[in-house]
Amino acid sequence: MPDHHDDLIAELRELDTWLAVPEAADQRVAVRERLTRRTGRWRVWLAAAVAAVTVTVVAVEPARAAVIDVVAQVLAVAGIEVRRSESAALPTASPSPLPSTGAVSLEVAEQRAPFPVRMPTGLGPPERVEIADLDANGVPRVVSALYRGGSVRFDQFDGSAGSFFKQAQDAEWVDLGGAMAIWLPTPHTLTYIGRDGVPRSATARLATPTLIWEQGQVTYRLEGFTSLEQARVIALSLA
Amino acid sequence: MREADTEIDDATAVSRARGGDLGAYEVLVARYTVPAHRAAVLLGAGDDADDVVQEALVKAYRQLSRYRGESGFRPWLLAIVANETRNLHRSRRRRDGLALRAASASEPLPDAPDPADTVLARDRRRQLVERLRLLDRRDQDVLVCRFLLDLSEQETASALGLPKGTVKSRTSRALARLREHLRAEEVPGA
Repeated sequence: MPDHHDDLIAELRELDTWLAVPEAADQRVAVRERLTRRTGRWRVWLAAAVAAVTVTVVAVEPARAAVIDVVAQVLAVAGIEVRRSESAALPTASPSPLPSTGAVSLEVAEQRAPFPVRMPTGLGPPERVEIADLDANGVPRVVSALYRGGSVRFDQFDGSAGSFFKQAQDAEWVDLGGAMAIWLPTPHTLTYIGRDGVPRSATARLATPTLIWEQGQVTYRLEGFTSLEQARVIALSLA
Repeated sequence: MREADTEIDDATAVSRARGGDLGAYEVLVARYTVPAHRAAVLLGAGDDADDVVQEALVKAYRQLSRYRGESGFRPWLLAIVANETRNLHRSRRRRDGLALRAASASEPLPDAPDPADTVLARDRRRQLVERLRLLDRRDQDVLVCRFLLDLSEQETASALGLPKGTVKSRTSRALARLREHLRAEEVPGA
């Protein structure tokens, strides 16, 4: 049956040489630089093209550097950046929340989110569900669920389009049921990056310990557990 | 010795790069930047093609331990490029279409007539590109991977994150649709 397309296939193969392809940039220097530097152009690339959850690890001691590097590699895959910098901006005194539309029902969040909405069963039904940063069609980038009077927060977003900017003292690479996750054990600054790729400093707030992981191209962050073990149990209850 | 370094084959370069030899990896970077860039452009990366390529080359190095070498470094790298290009589409919700070379660039030299470059052949290519661009993005991607980038069904499957059977069925469906589109255009012109 496919035989009768042979002529068309031959034409397509031949077409290749006639297609306009701009000249490729020489990548040798840039690639070598990125492979030798501890951090690379993640920020530029991600902000421009994929937007990202950004984890800035401030003042990492040399002993930590190897760990951070592993995290950088792993989380870059999930659309998350780990970056070291010498200084961290402090969040504003009275941060404003995400550009959220306020509380919605779980059903509404499920209908409008561009990814399957999942909730950790270990926390029971959420007390409040929010969708944030809608596009022109009303499609949200982030779905958030709040539990335990707001002390536990669970965010989910398309890993390739998600947008938080993190500045943390410390970041750890941890195992999550055989998958990869990052654990931020100490309070850290969390800033939302808008659709335009610009960090909204007004949203910067001090986040409590957080576990971040990716599954099926959706990135999850669970905030509010001081114990990694507890956070892990909840994360693994995602249904 | 220096000359020998640039002459090493892919397998040698990969195994040295795995051991952390960035010079060996650079041989691969030099060798495959152009095909990688071409793949990114044909899959719709447009102006972001260079960024996609750089990202893919960095990721490829970090994933070298997963490279099995069954079908060579090129298709393996192109699969990573295709993956990066898809990430790009997801984030910007737009893709750049295929384009024929500018007319001036494809004009034959006056003293070197090329049978492939008759007016008729050029019209047909223009038509083909236009019709290709009308196809559903997923149909376009399988045709680009299979026939323009010359990837096998298996390689296309991993590049596009699809089961091999889907690649097979989508390829024949895309070819049938492309043919239909071409026929539709031929009728009024006949």
